[in-house]
Amino acid sequence: MIVVKALLILFFTQDGYTGMALYALYMVGLWKLFEKSGLEGWWALVPFARDYQLARCAGRESEGPVYSLSGFGLTMLSIIMLFLNRTAEEQAVLSGRDLLITILAITLSLVYFIYNIRVWSGMIEVYGVRRRWMLLCLFTYTKFIPALVWGFNKKYQPEWKVEDIRAELARMATQGSASVMDEGLTVNLSERTATEFFRKKVLLRDIHMAIPKGHMVLLLGGSGAGKTTYVNAINGYEKAKAEVLLNGNNLYTQYKKMQYDVGFVPQSEMMRGKDTVLNTLLDAAKLRLPIEINAKQRRARVDEVMEIFGLTPVQNNLVEKLSGGQKKRLSISMEFISNPSLFILDEPDSGLDGVMARELFVQLRKIADTGKIVIVITHTPDRVVDLFDDVIVLAKDSARTGRLAYYGSIEDARKFFDCERMEQIVKSINRKEEGGEGLADDYVMKYAEVQHG
Amino acid sequence: MAEMQVNTAKRRFMARHRGRGAQVFIYLGKLLRMFIYQNDWKVLPMAALIAGLVGMVVRRKFFINMEGTVMGAFAMVCVCIWNGCFNSIQVICRERDVIKREHRSGMHISSYIFAHMLYQALLCLLQVGVTLFVTSKVGVKYPAEGVISKWFIVDFGISMFLITYASDMMSLWVSSLSRTTTTAMTIMPFVLIFQLVFSGGMLSLPAWTKPLTNFTISNPGLKVVACQADVNHRPYATIADLIKKMRDNEIGGTVTLGQVLDLLDDKDNATVAEIRSKQIGGVFTLGEVTQMLEQSKSFNKFRQEAIIGEKTVGDLLNFLLEDESLKNLRDFEIPNTDLKVGTVLGELVKYEELKPMLAQKFIQTVTVGDVVDAVKSTGLLDEFKDETINATTTIGDIADWLTSNEDIQAHRDDAFTLKTTLGKILDVVGEKNVMSFLEEKAAAANYKPEYECIPDNILKYWMHLFGFILAFALLATITLEFIDKDKR
Repeated sequence: MIVVKALLILFFTQDGYTGMALYALYMVGLWKLFEKSGLEGWWALVPFARDYQLARCAGRESEGPVYSLSGFGLTMLSIIMLFLNRTAEEQAVLSGRDLLITILAITLSLVYFIYNIRVWSGMIEVYGVRRRWMLLCLFTYTKFIPALVWGFNKKYQPEWKVEDIRAELARMATQGSASVMDEGLTVNLSERTATEFFRKKVLLRDIHMAIPKGHMVLLLGGSGAGKTTYVNAINGYEKAKAEVLLNGNNLYTQYKKMQYDVGFVPQSEMMRGKDTVLNTLLDAAKLRLPIEINAKQRRARVDEVMEIFGLTPVQNNLVEKLSGGQKKRLSISMEFISNPSLFILDEPDSGLDGVMARELFVQLRKIADTGKIVIVITHTPDRVVDLFDDVIVLAKDSARTGRLAYYGSIEDARKFFDCERMEQIVKSINRKEEGGEGLADDYVMKYAEVQHG
Repeated sequence: MAEMQVNTAKRRFMARHRGRGAQVFIYLGKLLRMFIYQNDWKVLPMAALIAGLVGMVVRRKFFINMEGTVMGAFAMVCVCIWNGCFNSIQVICRERDVIKREHRSGMHISSYIFAHMLYQALLCLLQVGVTLFVTSKVGVKYPAEGVISKWFIVDFGISMFLITYASDMMSLWVSSLSRTTTTAMTIMPFVLIFQLVFSGGMLSLPAWTKPLTNFTISNPGLKVVACQADVNHRPYATIADLIKKMRDNEIGGTVTLGQVLDLLDDKDNATVAEIRSKQIGGVFTLGEVTQMLEQSKSFNKFRQEAIIGEKTVGDLLNFLLEDESLKNLRDFEIPNTDLKVGTVLGELVKYEELKPMLAQKFIQTVTVGDVVDAVKSTGLLDEFKDETINATTTIGDIADWLTSNEDIQAHRDDAFTLKTTLGKILDVVGEKNVMSFLEEKAAAANYKPEYECIPDNILKYWMHLFGFILAFALLATITLEFIDKDKR
């Protein structure tokens, strides 16, 4: 009998007849909601997983694991209490174990309650209904009403679906590969995935390109399009299912040897503010330069880099005392010290005014002109677009996977997207809920068609 | 010129970069600079302040009595854990982005953690030095001799260092787990509470929580400090303090003589047996007894007692004829005759003619004092004043005599009321004796083998703490190896 009760709690989260009946109705409603969002309806019958899938439908996938796990924890505690089978008298006096279970139950209940609000807020946004619905979504015994109403009433339709055109896009994907360049960067990335809460998530798919040496490339894309994931994949730090060749050498298989030939400048100044400029660069030189280079040569290289980036006058200043522009230049200097062939910069102009940003990009252009490949992510491309040779446009498709919407020269990009300004390109590929035009899927397919002729 | 050295890609691929060992020194140098620029030195005056405050609280009883020493040991362990935790709780999480960038640039996590281990060891060493100096200055009296080394301060310093360093490494791990300083500082109080509650020395824990004490630094920390402070052999002062406070409390009750006698006769009771075995009385010289009697008021009153009243000659003759002790005298044969003294005396009593003479009173009243004076006048007392008289006996003998005495047994049901103060009883029995007895017994009751001040115990706890240091450093390294998995 006790096992049956435990199974009922596992499935319905409770063992009272009324509660079970209401929860069954809730599951029926969820079945329809999942189907509307492009998921399999039977997920509604799977304990705990249904919470995670609901979070996905609500566009709150990141909150799904905690929502699901807190529900799982609460159910398990109920089952444990069932097996402990304590009398009313015993329950009146809390033992240490009971106290622990009670504290855990209160904590988990609170977490579940908060995450329930977050997830159902997402559902309210997705279904575009009034916020007063939230009152019904708060409690276990009333949640079945919105689930049934939104699930069965055709009037209520989600603004977007979890998985709808993924299969179509996968068919349309550019299955070809870029030809290898002896002097330059060749990227043939078929997939970059991440596992989140036992579910494989595709972050990037089918990105193929060859960038010649001496090119300065603009990397464009809306937020969440996978720009940083992409640069991490091509510099070898976060490996993807890909082949990345730099001057003919495989960056993935020879990462340990080649990591100093790739310079990556992160978006924020990740430097110790309490160290001096000179010491920061000397330490960077010790780390990045080969061991054969002696102290004198190392110092000479540091002086040379400081001269290039105009840091010599402030070499003895603490990093935290530098201006925003100086910090950016120092951050770039740290990577430039090893004279890398591939130089990747993640929003180097953030926080800089137009003049300073322009000066910085001019300096980067000079670096590219020395035969290096410079890839730059920026959100204000139009003020410096004349300095770039090529543009990469990454877009987030309907399945929220980063796709290549375009790679080529700046002029061709203007024709491809039929707009003059780079920021317009970003707007056209951004999702509607982000204030864009939601044409990402169209451009991804158009570029794939162009690639295949 | 420098660019030439690093110019060609091929040469760069062939080049070797700094390995783990060399990178340790890069980061150690960086951390030492941070000590100056990032105000890490502030931990030293903070350690002095904490040590001063704690030292002033514990100085009066630390190393003096058992409770004070346990309390002092716990306070010192708390100081060490506090110092250690706050040394490193923010060091990794505050520069997590920097570490990630440097890891991407070829930094080895193991080198970074090892550099931190060296730097933090130095910091902990300095803090322990400061703490010992300040506590001794505010009046904590450290013993002189150590168990492992010659000097107590060295042994104690090693223990404090290991506790501080182990806590430091634990915090380093927490710091490597936390994404932000806020998270780290939120976790920290729970870690500290866990350490203090589950130290296993101060609070009595439910049985099911006992295994948790094995996971706390405070447990071996408290044990090693208590061990070195020789807690087991410090007097237990609480009972004595309590009794002093209760001196004026009235105590009393009604008991029967039988109850007292039965209690004294209970030889199976260990306490009664111990009391029974106590010897009382002593060995005196005759001179001492005489002097004591002369000074006694009650004896002077006794001197007035008449020991022989008025007697007749007949009484004397009858006494000589009847007293058992004079049998030898009666059997004595008068020389050159067949007559015995007893026969002659018997005949004398029978003569009618002698009746008037026999009725004649011949002696006046003699008091005890007369006898004593007479004895003294003979000079015998002076002659034998150094002769010893053994008057020792045990309480048990007296108790046995009392219980075997029929007259006393006849009064078993007599009840009497006791009403006095604890102070008066202590005065009678001897307060010092009672206190030392209670302290000794209470200390024995509180004896813990794990606190025994022996080298084996101390070395065992040091190894335990050292294990924590290695384990936490390893955990920090493993945790930080996953830094590239951080969500962007």
